[in-house]
Amino acid sequence: MKAKQSTPEIIRDFLQTKLPNARDISLSEFTHLAGGWSHEIYVFKARWRENGETIESGMCLRKDPGAALLREFSDLKSQYRVLEALEATEVPTPRVYWYEDDPALLGGPFFIMEKIEGEVPNPWSRAGKEKYAEAARRGKLPLSFVETLARLHSLDWRAAGLDFIGVPGEGKDFALREIAKWESLIAESGHKPEPVLTELLMWLKANAPAAQRLAFVHGAYRTGNLIIRDDAIAAVIDWELQVIGDPMYDVAYVLSDLNREGSALLSCVVEREYFLEHYQRLTGLRVDLDVCRYYEILYMMRSTAFWISASSLFADGRNKDLRLARTTYSVPVVLDMAAKALGF
Amino acid sequence: MIPAKRLLDEVITSLRTVIAPAIVDPYAKSQAFMAAVILEFVSHQVTERSDIESAKQAALDSVFADLAKLLDGAEIAKVDGDNREGRLCGVIERLYSQREKLGEEIFTRANRRIRQALRELLEQDLKVAAQNKG
Repeated sequence: MKAKQSTPEIIRDFLQTKLPNARDISLSEFTHLAGGWSHEIYVFKARWRENGETIESGMCLRKDPGAALLREFSDLKSQYRVLEALEATEVPTPRVYWYEDDPALLGGPFFIMEKIEGEVPNPWSRAGKEKYAEAARRGKLPLSFVETLARLHSLDWRAAGLDFIGVPGEGKDFALREIAKWESLIAESGHKPEPVLTELLMWLKANAPAAQRLAFVHGAYRTGNLIIRDDAIAAVIDWELQVIGDPMYDVAYVLSDLNREGSALLSCVVEREYFLEHYQRLTGLRVDLDVCRYYEILYMMRSTAFWISASSLFADGRNKDLRLARTTYSVPVVLDMAAKALGF
Repeated sequence: MIPAKRLLDEVITSLRTVIAPAIVDPYAKSQAFMAAVILEFVSHQVTERSDIESAKQAALDSVFADLAKLLDGAEIAKVDGDNREGRLCGVIERLYSQREKLGEEIFTRANRRIRQALRELLEQDLKVAAQNKG
């Protein structure tokens, strides 16, 4: 009887099917990364011989683990197609190599992409905050942070073939679609009725702003989702929440206090005035702070939807990750923030 | 919120089946198993707080009574069903959807009263959630 193969052995055999001319494929430095709530992430170095040469390539594998956070909105095939479309643009992203839909190999769909060299200091940790603050003092990273977002928002998303992710209509449609998306996640979670959340949802619907223009929006543009190398952004990662929508949605995320606990710098890395000045200069867009404030409140609803969905996954016994259980306590805290933002 | 006993049971299971077996250091391993044992005892000591639920129900009773007066028998204030939080959700939705018909003054007064109740409900939940610093 054939012995059960380990994950690295399965991946090695998979690479062999994709690289038919490769000989002696071996994997090293195989690491299952901690972190990542919605996907399993493995990084490794692949080495093989081809046409008399030895080739070495850092790779990253992203796998659908089944019952995990944001399963409904985070289709791997869609992520793969987004990254593929972005390859030809100025937005720095990892190159994608192969997508595999068959769950027989690793228990779920997965794709393999280039492993970008660099680091992602954790912005929630003291050490991470210090690293970003030091980089901010040197001056290069804050500009790279703004420039990369400006590139993203200046992207001709239709020409890049990104309209497959859905294009909202004019006016308030983007905000209303976004609310509906997160409302559906809350409904699917089977969570008990939550009146504070209902008030928040109704307020958001009643006050939805019109989009200034439609752009390709990352949906979670912040340090922690950016690979840094030589004080510059080497790649934007975590392509799970991207939408065609109001660029102010990303700007609001950058401006938000949600992403910089304890740091005076936006996203722990850039001064507010510096960000606003350079973003507006580079994009030609006007930052509407009232609209950003609205989207910041929408993010609070989105966070509530995340936490409700996460704690329900745990409560239903579909996922045993204790990090999901912890989120049951986050729901009132984020609703408290939203209530205060609405004045109660 | 997930009941405390249920959460404790899951943490104990994780300590016994995921965390402790993965620890190589013998002392740390024994500490992890012992933490599971202690939490099992703690689990027997835990009783869910009933004061929070009582305070929430009192806040809900009060807001329904005030809304009935404020909206003077309007369809919006009529609430059915056993789940009072679900009923309040229904009132909020109807209040917004009938805002024009009600007029801005009545909408604002009712919304203000509802928000006062929502703050009271939140404060109860925060008695537990705000303690969690991790």
